[in-house]
Amino acid sequence: MRAWGRVVKLNRFHVWVTVLAAVVLAGAVAGIVVFTRGLVVTNLTDLVPWGLWITIDLSAIAMSAGAFLLCAAVYLLDLKRYQPIARTATFIGLIGYSMAVLTLLLDIGRPDRFWHPMVFWNPHSVLWEITMCVTLYLTVLALESAPILGSAAWFEDRWPRVAATLQRIHHYAPYLAIAGLGLSLLHQSSLGAAYGVLKARPIWYRPDLSVLFIVSAMAGGPALTVLASMLAGRLSTRVYINDALLEKVSGFIGWVLMAYLYLRFWDMLSMTYTYSPGRTEGLRLLTQGPLSFNFWVGEIILGILVPMVVLLRPSLRRVPVLRMIALLMIIGGVAAYRWDTNLAGQLIVLTYLPQEIVARYTDYVPSLIETLAGAGVIAYGFLAFTLGARYLNVVDHQVQAEAHGLPQLATSAAD
Amino acid sequence: MSEEIVGRRSFLKALAAGVSATVGLRLVSRASASESGESSPHRWGMVIDQTKCIGCGYCTLACRATNDVSPNISWNRVIEAGKYAGEPVYLPRPCMHCEHAPCVEVCPVQATYHRPDGIVMMDYDRCIGCRYCEIACPYGARAFNWEAFEGPNPEVPRWGEPEVERRPRGVVEKCTFCYQRIDRGLELGLEPGKDSQATPACVVACPTKARVFGDLNNPESGASQLLERYPAYRLREDLGTGPRVYYLPTRNEEVAG
Repeated sequence: MRAWGRVVKLNRFHVWVTVLAAVVLAGAVAGIVVFTRGLVVTNLTDLVPWGLWITIDLSAIAMSAGAFLLCAAVYLLDLKRYQPIARTATFIGLIGYSMAVLTLLLDIGRPDRFWHPMVFWNPHSVLWEITMCVTLYLTVLALESAPILGSAAWFEDRWPRVAATLQRIHHYAPYLAIAGLGLSLLHQSSLGAAYGVLKARPIWYRPDLSVLFIVSAMAGGPALTVLASMLAGRLSTRVYINDALLEKVSGFIGWVLMAYLYLRFWDMLSMTYTYSPGRTEGLRLLTQGPLSFNFWVGEIILGILVPMVVLLRPSLRRVPVLRMIALLMIIGGVAAYRWDTNLAGQLIVLTYLPQEIVARYTDYVPSLIETLAGAGVIAYGFLAFTLGARYLNVVDHQVQAEAHGLPQLATSAAD
Repeated sequence: MSEEIVGRRSFLKALAAGVSATVGLRLVSRASASESGESSPHRWGMVIDQTKCIGCGYCTLACRATNDVSPNISWNRVIEAGKYAGEPVYLPRPCMHCEHAPCVEVCPVQATYHRPDGIVMMDYDRCIGCRYCEIACPYGARAFNWEAFEGPNPEVPRWGEPEVERRPRGVVEKCTFCYQRIDRGLELGLEPGKDSQATPACVVACPTKARVFGDLNNPESGASQLLERYPAYRLREDLGTGPRVYYLPTRNEEVAG
């Protein structure tokens, strides 16, 4: 019975990995088309120069926010029992930021010049600051994740000295957590500010965007970490999770959602008063126009309201299936928010003629190549996490506390 | 244990030293660059008289021929902007060469920057093609090279050739006020705006002399004179960008000259 179960599980794993690898391959082919033929293969235009890839880029970074939050909780607030979750979050962060880098390489016209922001500084540019922070934070995440590789049994067996060196990096975890916190607070907000500082785009031009971007990331990031941990625990016999810990984090996410809802309510309400060219049209696009389903259903009802209730009510969030659905909704809602924000500012084209400012509408639907390349990047993320969960023990709520000399878990979860 | 503490300290020291050295070097190099950056006595600007513009689009064609601009891109567009006394009114739109240019502010690599004479320039060798400048520009003056522009340029006549290099795929381009004509003209002792060889191609090609180019710092220049005599406006002045392209709205009286 048990042996049979293992065979079935093994097969399921292989099918899952094969499907993901196929999508990654399709994405890679699409990527080659993009690099050889140029961005003309996209549906981006001079009116809408930022589309699906920017959304994936922004969402991947937002979903990586679990890393800085949980590392700060463990190493700065001394909430040591969350250390195993911080480990998972760090690994997800590393994947998320590498996804963002991949998407950006696709998106910029001259990927061969990706290093230019490091050399040619424009400290005045929000995008420059984001690029620097993302690069530095990717380094921090790589250092934070190094002990994960170093403590994998197969790695230790093969390269014991390298493994020992990698594990030693863990001693710097508190410093890395400080660096990660600073860098993340900066660029997670600046991603919103990249839109918010543009006076030419009235629907974006407000200081709230930077705050909303980081608060939504503080909900979406931990949501993905908890959901991925729960899925890994369910789908693999090798993964051991402590559900009590994950439930605590989920409760925290519920409170973040409440803060996010509050901020968004006032942010939106304040924009509904008096006609303002471009802003009013943008708002109409979101609440009544082509983005309205995304906005009301994706962002607000399923993205905030429903999961907030589920995660804040202990009786509901204790039911694993309900909690997982709620977490999935949050992730969808945060991604929808990125998509809608990005498009709302670009689909409205303001005239610059001397008469009254008139807003015209344009549209954007990603091309097949854009979609394939984007799907490839997302599948790469899933694949990397799957392999990490299987071969690097990135979800393991028991072993880690001992390995790093941290106090044993007080609650040993019932089997 | 003590070994580890020493290791950690020296690691942090090395890190701090490295970071401060890098930042310090960058700041020093930036400061020296801005000190040595020569100032210019000129401040180039353009005045476009909407009474004279007939919307023929010669400016756009002259621009394409001179700057080897692809037929898919217009550095200079002529837009029909309503009617006056039953006649259509046109609005030609080059780059505004804003004093507070949003594109210059947002470019992450300073690929677009101000020359001392106010021209907003593009460094095509530095641009990474992120298109943030396109998003930031209120005038739609910027165009991205979505694909490589290959083959002959239909606007370039058989008897001449473009004055600047064609841009590669993947960078943003825009009107440069024909900086190459200004610079070469000044070297030859000519006056941009007065001598056609030193004046932007669109201004030279305009059959009705609707465009006047000149040094806004020089009260004697044609552009300054027009601004002295007629009420002028600029596009989206409410944004505070400080455009250096001025428009004279349509008038009834015929302008002498």
